[in-house]
Amino acid sequence: MTVTAQSPAGPTPAVPDPTPPAGPPRPGAVRRLARRIHLRTVPARIRAMTLVAVVAVGVLFGAASWAIGNARDGLATIGHDAGPQVVATGDLFFALNDMDAQVANVLLLGRDRDLGRGREASLRLYAQRRSEASRALLQAAQLAGDDRTEQRTVQAVLDGLGEYERLAARAIQLDEQRPHPAGPPSDEVLALYREATDLMKLKLLPQAYNLTLESGSIVRKTYEREHSSLVAGRLWVLGSGLAVVAALAAVQVYLARRFRRLVNPALALATLGAVALTAAVAVLVGTQAGLLRKAKEEGFDSVLALSRARAIGNSAYADEGRYLLDPVRRDTYEQVYFDKSQSILYLDAERTKSLADYYVNLDAAVNAYRSQPRATFLGFFGDQARAARPGGAEAAAVTRVLERYREFQRKDRSVREMVAGGRLGEALRLHLDGREFSRYDAALVELARMHRATFTGAIRQGDRGLRGWDVALPVASAALVVLILLGVRPRLAEYR
Amino acid sequence: MRIPRTAALASAAAVAVGVLTGCSAGGGESILDRETLTIGVKADQPGLGLRRSDGEFVGFDVDVARYVAGKLGFSDQEIRFTETPSNVREQVLEQRRVDMVVASYSITASRKTKVTFAGPYYVAHQDTLVRAGDSAVRNVRDLANRRLCKVTGSNSWRRVTEERGVPARLVETTTYSDCVDRLIRGEVDAVSTDDLILAGFAAQRGNAVKIINAPISDEKYGIGLHKGDLDGCEAINRALTEMYQDGTAARLLDKWFGRTTLRTTDSVPQFEGCS
Repeated sequence: MTVTAQSPAGPTPAVPDPTPPAGPPRPGAVRRLARRIHLRTVPARIRAMTLVAVVAVGVLFGAASWAIGNARDGLATIGHDAGPQVVATGDLFFALNDMDAQVANVLLLGRDRDLGRGREASLRLYAQRRSEASRALLQAAQLAGDDRTEQRTVQAVLDGLGEYERLAARAIQLDEQRPHPAGPPSDEVLALYREATDLMKLKLLPQAYNLTLESGSIVRKTYEREHSSLVAGRLWVLGSGLAVVAALAAVQVYLARRFRRLVNPALALATLGAVALTAAVAVLVGTQAGLLRKAKEEGFDSVLALSRARAIGNSAYADEGRYLLDPVRRDTYEQVYFDKSQSILYLDAERTKSLADYYVNLDAAVNAYRSQPRATFLGFFGDQARAARPGGAEAAAVTRVLERYREFQRKDRSVREMVAGGRLGEALRLHLDGREFSRYDAALVELARMHRATFTGAIRQGDRGLRGWDVALPVASAALVVLILLGVRPRLAEYR
Repeated sequence: MRIPRTAALASAAAVAVGVLTGCSAGGGESILDRETLTIGVKADQPGLGLRRSDGEFVGFDVDVARYVAGKLGFSDQEIRFTETPSNVREQVLEQRRVDMVVASYSITASRKTKVTFAGPYYVAHQDTLVRAGDSAVRNVRDLANRRLCKVTGSNSWRRVTEERGVPARLVETTTYSDCVDRLIRGEVDAVSTDDLILAGFAAQRGNAVKIINAPISDEKYGIGLHKGDLDGCEAINRALTEMYQDGTAARLLDKWFGRTTLRTTDSVPQFEGCS
């Protein structure tokens, strides 16, 4: 602005401030610079305005590649690196829970080896979960990187797992030496199992759960950073695109006045090109921000939450088994079963004070949701029910999960009523049958699969959207510069 | 984690974008951005949060809060404790009159709709306190036909008589402190509520009473924050993990409850997850 004010050549069109936004230079410096590049002559002014336009194209290029780079990084982290890894560590909690459940099963069977799933199958499943746990721990160790606190947690789980296996193996071995019919094993075996299950419940499971939470928080932070830089990037692209257009318009007007020409075709084309490029990049970045949000909030978050809900449900089912296994601790195991049920699907505590209330109120809550999709409950399933669009496939999947969850709870009620009625053997068979639980678990896995599809779909769409921009952006920017130079060159030639 | 790519960034844009994103993050949202910290604690709960005659707050909750605040970068001069009675905990957080509540505050799904909970920093259990010489009560079922203290306004007795249907004879009074005094005088036979609360009273009364270590519930003591402060919540969870890893938790549990018969857990609890 100082430049135009100094110019004696009367009113000139507004030239965008050519000084970079990095810091305001002193007016004296600009004046000296202006004198040096002889802005008093026409070609000098054209050259200066051209330079401004080209620099603006450069800034547009910078802003666009920065924004596109952020989009790419966001997709890479959430879609390909940390996101899937975090989901894999979520399996740790499930695997550990199921290890303990299988040990309880084996002890419960005694010499009736073929009840339910059967002893051999339980032992095989135990080994399989053990190796899944190792794999998930490996992932967790990788995610921990050089974070000391996380590393120590992984280390503690590894150590505890070794201790747990030792206790579990001793309990199973001792149980083999004291054959008993299906039902509670000997007191010595129970004492060993209590030690093992307490270690699992109090030390291993909490740390495994916290590991997933912690790595989930890494994803959340990355997501928020990338998402807000995408939003900022879009503003920058729009701003610099506007600057290019303004600079080009200024050159156009100046040339029109100076040389009495109507339109400079090359410059006009460059202007249109700049508008198109800016719009395309702004739309792209906006879409990418939306896809990232979708992948994170509708995909990743739900997948993680459902994997937790699944593990908690699995351990609640195991608590039903422990309730049968350990008569002394029956009250405690009933209480933890109730607590876990409440964390999966929470019913108002004022009206739901015990498991008996829970069965009754659950029935009403599921019926209410089915007739009019409005969740009166909280917890994991409350979140799912609220997030699902009524009438959609997801809502149908949620309804299915809720119905089968209710079936599972109804069966639990029967098991406990049989125990209260002194029919332990019947209760045992009903528990070991586990059909309702499997059906419920399958519905839950199906719902999680839908969210995973949302996740991978959004990520894939994002990847596709970014394809080609590595080439398109530099080519388009270079084309703009060439058009600008082509536009001013004939005019400058008139002064040679 | 990779950092946002900077290679393509024009130097001018870098400065200004930093400013832009800084603004959009919204200052003052998280307790991490605070200069000083106001912490709500109990004032009448021995062992957990108690205001001494000199006005200072002492107890397990207070020490945990101080440790966490220290890990978040607040010096002792930058934190202030204030009494937060149970019935206003959600309110003071919502109105930001208190930055965090560490006051034997159980995490429940309905409270989670109004408050963001870090932790739990400890999972307490409802348990039973009896006279030291009483060996007849080993679990909650043994309370049948015995005199159980019922504190007006507390729901703990319901877990025994209503949920479990144990036919205990209820003796009503106004405070747990009075319950414990009556227990020692032989006017009631048992007091049932959170074990840390019982242990706090027991520690005051020397060896006159004991906890039977037969838990009948999980009470997840969380740290309440203004709803939505996920950054603060995650930072507190890290601090709590470290509190257990570096042995501070075990030391504090021993400091406040070590003299009692309570068996405490000194490994990190399962966190609730910040939401």
